[in-house]
Amino acid sequence: MTLAKLVTVQAAYEDFLQRSLSKIPCDLARLIYLASTRDYNTGSYHHDGLASRFTPEVAAKALEIAHRQIFVQLSAYSLEELVEQLRIYFDSSRDGAAEILRTWQKLEPYRIAIPTEVNPAVARLFLSNVRLALAIWRSRQDQSLRDR
Amino acid sequence: MVLLATRGSAVKRELSFRTDLPLYDEVTGDPSLCPPEFAARIFSLADWTFVSGEKSPDVVRLFRHERRVVALVWVHQTKSAIHRIMREHTRVTRQSHDLHLATEARLVLHYLQLVAICDLLILAIQSAGPTRVGSLATYAAALSQRFADAQHALAITTSARDLRASAAH
Repeated sequence: MTLAKLVTVQAAYEDFLQRSLSKIPCDLARLIYLASTRDYNTGSYHHDGLASRFTPEVAAKALEIAHRQIFVQLSAYSLEELVEQLRIYFDSSRDGAAEILRTWQKLEPYRIAIPTEVNPAVARLFLSNVRLALAIWRSRQDQSLRDR
Repeated sequence: MVLLATRGSAVKRELSFRTDLPLYDEVTGDPSLCPPEFAARIFSLADWTFVSGEKSPDVVRLFRHERRVVALVWVHQTKSAIHRIMREHTRVTRQSHDLHLATEARLVLHYLQLVAICDLLILAIQSAGPTRVGSLATYAAALSQRFADAQHALAITTSARDLRASAAH
């Protein structure tokens, strides 16, 4: 990649951070959003707004970098921090927390939020931590039902 | 040592069934070491303290199982990366005409020490759990990073020496 192209990717990345990512309430939601910009079949990223301001190729690279960065950040969170991320995600969603919790535990949709080029142990830690954070939420929910 | 290595292979086979992501593939997989800060996270006591505070036996059971699997994945990945680094080093030294025996011996010792620590970690994680072997894992992470750096530096020095020697002839 040439220096000029690198500078453009950096500009696209910062533009995306400022216009889109900063408006999303937590890192977990950012990760889910970024993963949704990736094509299931080809693994390439696409964002209409960003592609029109830069080029589709530059936009894809910027999205890929943002995705990997958020993923690494989330994977380094402690369990306590991840449980808090889930709370913010549940609160900001239009669907009920109980419904999201049930679906996430059953289908594990967060598995497809893992970027392509990541360290295998880090990817396994992320999956394990989300599974644990969901179990903690479920346990708290069950406890509050018993207490009623 | 043979017993430890056999145990390590058995755990690797067992892990390939238990983990939902493929283990590190020595031929085509990610050849890099896991960043040391993640080793600290995997073996962290803080997460255990938080989980025990939840007072849920199910969550505690799940935590013990999950962390044990992740810790074993980490050890296997580290061990595979060390083997790969050593193989790469052997390839470079075979082509070199100017070797420093003392440096080479130090590197081999370093390698053997790391392999032994990894095998010991596998046993310790299985018997005592990952949160009790945090210091040893952090030490192994730092040591393997130093090993990778040393090999890299040595490879550059060897190539430069060989280039100078061939230019002089």
